[in-house]
Amino acid sequence: MKRLLGVALGVLTAIGGFVDIGDLVTNAVVGSRFGLSLVWVVGVGVVGICLFANMSGRVAAASGRATFEVIRERLGPRAGLANLSASFLINLMTVTAELGGIALALQLASSVHYLLWIPVAVVAVWLVIWRVKFSIMENVTGMLGLTLIVFVVALFLLKPDWGNLAGQALAPAIPGEETASSYWYYAIALFGAAMTPYEVFFFSSGAVEEGWSVKDLVQSRINVLVGFPLGGILSVAIAGCAAVVLLPAGIAVTSLSQVILPVAEGAGKLGLAFVLVGIVAATFGAALETTLSSGYTLAQFFGWSWGKFRRPAQAARFHLSMIICLLIGIAVLSTGVDPVLVTEYSVVFSAIALPLTYLPILIVSNDPQYMGEHVNGRAVNVLSMVYLVVILVASIAAIPLMIVTGAGS
Amino acid sequence: MNRPFPSTLAPVPPIAGRTLDAQLHLMDRQALDNDGVPVTTVDDLELSGPALETEIPEGTPAPILTALLTGPVLGTRIFGGRPPSSRLIRIPWKDVADVGVVIKLGVSGDSLDAGWVERWIRDKIIARIPGGRHDPR
Repeated sequence: MKRLLGVALGVLTAIGGFVDIGDLVTNAVVGSRFGLSLVWVVGVGVVGICLFANMSGRVAAASGRATFEVIRERLGPRAGLANLSASFLINLMTVTAELGGIALALQLASSVHYLLWIPVAVVAVWLVIWRVKFSIMENVTGMLGLTLIVFVVALFLLKPDWGNLAGQALAPAIPGEETASSYWYYAIALFGAAMTPYEVFFFSSGAVEEGWSVKDLVQSRINVLVGFPLGGILSVAIAGCAAVVLLPAGIAVTSLSQVILPVAEGAGKLGLAFVLVGIVAATFGAALETTLSSGYTLAQFFGWSWGKFRRPAQAARFHLSMIICLLIGIAVLSTGVDPVLVTEYSVVFSAIALPLTYLPILIVSNDPQYMGEHVNGRAVNVLSMVYLVVILVASIAAIPLMIVTGAGS
Repeated sequence: MNRPFPSTLAPVPPIAGRTLDAQLHLMDRQALDNDGVPVTTVDDLELSGPALETEIPEGTPAPILTALLTGPVLGTRIFGGRPPSSRLIRIPWKDVADVGVVIKLGVSGDSLDAGWVERWIRDKIIARIPGGRHDPR
């Protein structure tokens, strides 16, 4: 019974934790401009993140080594440092986007300007990292994030023409007023939003934080394989709501208030209340995960003591580096840069940086010295190689497409 | 295949114990102290023996591994150059207890020079923030 509860909790947390500011904004933008014609990318991304998280979780459980220790060992200091710089900077951009997302959601709830909410959000994030137990942090934000199911409810209440929606999803076509290059640019953005590298740093380091052993692998596999696809449904519902309400009205999403507009129309004030709680929880949870990830990557590369399971004084450099990252986040946001814009760039750069973390994990998960008998099976390796190609193509195509489309505008 | 060695080279002496590849098993590995707390990643290795670019007379004993190195030596390993010997932060090889997927040390991290930055940040910054010594579990 206790075990079953553990599985249920893990799955629910994975669903609630799947969506972050990147998924919210990108799915709404795509829904409002391309309808459901890019929904297949969410599917590709969800399978990819399941595969990737499963591999890195298995590496962490079997060898006790987290992602960036492995990257340094396999790539050596020079390529490792280049990798660290790229991954860390993109992660920092995501931290900034998530902090901005919390503040924007609080602005929608309170009508107080978001710049005033930023210090509040940062202090709250820091306090949780400083003080709260890892499992409580994970479960509370994940559970509250589940309120985003209101996007699914709203989609039903909007009574859309299901046949039309299914047609858009099953026979994808580029809408008349959009170009092929912006279609593919947003395909990459959506892929990057679903397969963000920080999720993998966080997942593998979290496995070490919670002291997973090989015995816990079954549960972790269920969490990922059930939780992430269900989380993907939330992503599709966000795009669906935008496709039903905003696409016909000709509104292209550029702000968070437009993301939640369809929910207000479909599910009224109560729906609005739910979606605001959900967005605050989802962005807050992701802000915690990304901030921790920036500490994890640095500490693991340089071999510092790290982890929330230690007293802060026993992981001093780890905690100091996270404080500095949060201060940088405040500094960037206080320039008045639009957090939604930061988000749109951060998902594309995530897609660009993805091969840097994917390839070392793929190599190590095939190395018996680390993995013992838990090396990748043949089917996993075949799928992994297919995804390696997909990830490389997305990564290489992203920058040319960004230039050609003027970042999608 | 029993290929004879050239007569000028002495045969490899028999080795007792495990053979470790410095690049594969030591470099860039995480080192843990006797409580399992991470100390550092091995940034470089120090060998005893003849200086660079000197003539090595016959019968010189093979160089041995004297210390694991950390600190600024990582920068010179990436960008080139070599810090003076006095600037190297060493973990003596005799402190190493085991080499596996991590390097285990037989001593406490608090006694090592390699931990001074961590201790400085702990004592001057982190421990002074309220709750800095609170146990999260």
